[in-house]
Amino acid sequence: MKPMLSTDLNVTDTAVEKAKIEVKNLNFYYGQSKALKDINLSLPERSVTAFIGPSGCGKSTLLRVLNRIYELYPKQSAEGQVLLDGKNILDRSQDLNLLRTKIGMVFQKPTPFPMSIYENIAFGVRLYEKISKAEMDNRVEQALKRAALWNEVKDKLNASGQSLSGGQQQRLCIARTVAVKPEVILLDEPASALDPLSTAKIEELIDELQADYTIVIVTHNMQQAARVSRQTAFMYLGELVEFDRTEKIFTSPREKRTQDYITGRFG
Amino acid sequence: MSTAASLHQSRKRKNAVMMALCVIAAGIGLAWLALILGALIYKGLSGVSLSVFTQMTPPPGDAGGLLNAIYGSIIMTIIGIVVGTPIGVLAGTYMAEYGRFSRLTTVVRFINDILLSAPSIIVGLFVYELMVRPMGHFSAIAGAVALSILVIPVVVRTTEDMLNLVPNALREAGTAIGAPRWVVIRSVAYRAALSGIVTGILLAIARISGETAPLLFTALNNQFWSSNLNAPMASLPVTIFQFALSPYEEWQQLAWTGALIITLTVLGLSIFARSLTGRREDR
Amino acid sequence: MTAVSEAVTSSALRAREATVRRFAFTDMVFRAATRASAILVLVLLGGVAISLVAGSWEALSKFGLNFLTTEAWNPVTENFGALAPIYGTVVTSAIAIIIAVPIGIGIAVFLTELCPRPLRRPIGIAVELLAGIPSIIYGIWGLFVFAPFLQTTIQPFIINIFHSVPGLNSLFAGPPYGIGLLTSSLILAIMVLPFITSITKDVFDTVPAVLKESAYGIGCTTWEVTRRVVIPYTRVGIMGGVMLGLGRALGETMAVTFVIGNAHRISASLFAPGTTISATIANEFTEADGALYTSSLVALGLILFIITFIILAIARYMLLRIDSRTGA
Repeated sequence: MKPMLSTDLNVTDTAVEKAKIEVKNLNFYYGQSKALKDINLSLPERSVTAFIGPSGCGKSTLLRVLNRIYELYPKQSAEGQVLLDGKNILDRSQDLNLLRTKIGMVFQKPTPFPMSIYENIAFGVRLYEKISKAEMDNRVEQALKRAALWNEVKDKLNASGQSLSGGQQQRLCIARTVAVKPEVILLDEPASALDPLSTAKIEELIDELQADYTIVIVTHNMQQAARVSRQTAFMYLGELVEFDRTEKIFTSPREKRTQDYITGRFG
Repeated sequence: MSTAASLHQSRKRKNAVMMALCVIAAGIGLAWLALILGALIYKGLSGVSLSVFTQMTPPPGDAGGLLNAIYGSIIMTIIGIVVGTPIGVLAGTYMAEYGRFSRLTTVVRFINDILLSAPSIIVGLFVYELMVRPMGHFSAIAGAVALSILVIPVVVRTTEDMLNLVPNALREAGTAIGAPRWVVIRSVAYRAALSGIVTGILLAIARISGETAPLLFTALNNQFWSSNLNAPMASLPVTIFQFALSPYEEWQQLAWTGALIITLTVLGLSIFARSLTGRREDR
Repeated sequence: MTAVSEAVTSSALRAREATVRRFAFTDMVFRAATRASAILVLVLLGGVAISLVAGSWEALSKFGLNFLTTEAWNPVTENFGALAPIYGTVVTSAIAIIIAVPIGIGIAVFLTELCPRPLRRPIGIAVELLAGIPSIIYGIWGLFVFAPFLQTTIQPFIINIFHSVPGLNSLFAGPPYGIGLLTSSLILAIMVLPFITSITKDVFDTVPAVLKESAYGIGCTTWEVTRRVVIPYTRVGIMGGVMLGLGRALGETMAVTFVIGNAHRISASLFAPGTTISATIANEFTEADGALYTSSLVALGLILFIITFIILAIARYMLLRIDSRTGA
């Protein structure tokens, strides 16, 4: 019954929008304990999808499956299929580094590398592309402009990335992600460590970025999900409870648990 | 009421006595440091002159310097560090990065801690059996190898500790832009842990520059200038050992001066190393 | 269809895939290098053990277990026994620990509870710097400054006091050489003091502030808090630090070699010269002629290795327990 809900949506929506990522029958384990239970959903291209739910519901876990970052740690394993443009990325033959150049990620706490602002961005680009200094300068500038950070840092590109304020650091991380030209950007509670003003800037940025990228955002902040996303997935205890257009989730959810959560009865 | 008051008094008295003893203990500790440094400076400084740094170790009863011993110490310390540091850093890297969750790491950590405090004379015996006996003669290179074996556990320990302090979020971020693990380690983790790792290397230098026991029957000693790594080589600590136990006044004086040089070097390195990590903690 | 889409991005994609293959290779190489280095640490300790056993084989097969129980050490008749050095090693280390532990704990209490805050760091650093001074410095100081001082002032005084007390008069029997077991013990005590102090201070710092505050809250004095809360809470860690200090003392070579007197006999008097395992090796190894002599010295090294290995293993195990508790 539950998985059917999401496929219902796919049937109606994929007619107009192509699915960038399709999750099929996904289960995830931390050692013996099952953290994700039979997840099915489909993320449309060039739009923002939000994962919401109380802490421990598996929303971050699901996000971390999409670029297989969980593989850094032992005893974590995923079963099922995650199709990126129709190709299963959970396949053993999938090269992880290549996958991550296509699917970028921004974390909860800003994570500038211990190097200059310029190098923070050039670092990722240089990994896979051999380009001239002039091209690199241009690339760095474009990425910083894209992240709405250029005007604030253009005079101190050689300053340490860690010298920036929290909000600036987070935009630097977004710039860094954008610079390697991914197709999908995963955002794991990107504004939860920031002040309201910085949060507003990040949200504005997400809105602009969806013209070019498929964006997935995990947030514990329901207003944020309502503001930035086109579709929302509500998760609870490792299950996908409901997945639909954002305004539908927030105005007339099908499931009682969704209703309870968004009205603040638990979570 | 009165018993309660007297109990209170006796408790307070006991506290005062014990706390006074603690203060005395601290006084003893510091006084001892002052005594040793004082004697060292008093006895050592009177022998400091340019000739200490320009002349060779003299035959008994003659005046001379410590040039060949200082040179030997520097050479063997450098080789010891150059050989030991990469191995130590790589091993520490395995433990904190690739093998963070593996059983091998637990075992290596335990064994490394043992090696860290194992008697250095045992290392000397090991290298004697490993190199001196098969080669048939003492050599500077054997001494340097013995020193490098002392360097490895120090560097392993600090490298692992410092890499463990690097937040995982930073590794995830590096991985998430498509960098392979070794690039993340080299460009992100090493950079973030750099001052700590350098501190470990400095402490290792401080440790081996004063080591005597592992050199006694590896590099032995050499009264003359020698830059041949395949032959016995003088070192400051072994020269001090030999000269201090001799009956000749000139030699004893040189021993004190050498001791002062070593102590200042070691203290200087330790303080410098501490200042590197100290800044980190303050931040 | 696929052919067409591949053609569009082919060159960039192919370059990327080549890079990825290169990365996979370099990563494998780097991983193998780090793993090999980690294994080398194990190999080193294994190599030490094997080489010591091999080197001491000749002596052990000739003397067997008698090696451990024989006091004789005669290079001329080639009769060797380890009892005197073992005795000297154990006695000097034990006395050193007995002296250093209360002082070390006292300093740690001073540093954590009493010391004015601005002085804490400098004094703590000063104590740790003591730990960094090479042992040969302690040796030369002990030989030229400390031993003569003991010989001319302290030792005659003690001999005079105890010469008519049964038991103690043989423990502190003259003549006052200056050098000997007690002098070595005192030098060792100074050497291990910083280790014990800094580890004790570190484990004291792991006591949760709430615990101490609640004890102060019910009116405990500083001493009572230390005695009833801090020390019981950190007992295992302190024991670990003591064991670590003991390991140092047992294996310490240069400081002892200068002041032990190097006499292969067991005397009742603590003022008498003696020897330790490491001092014997340091003094005699390069002059040892004859395979059996050398082999006997290596056998001494093996005994020292086994003793310190056990002590250090216990120390690490105890400190590990403290770590895992604070980590949890």
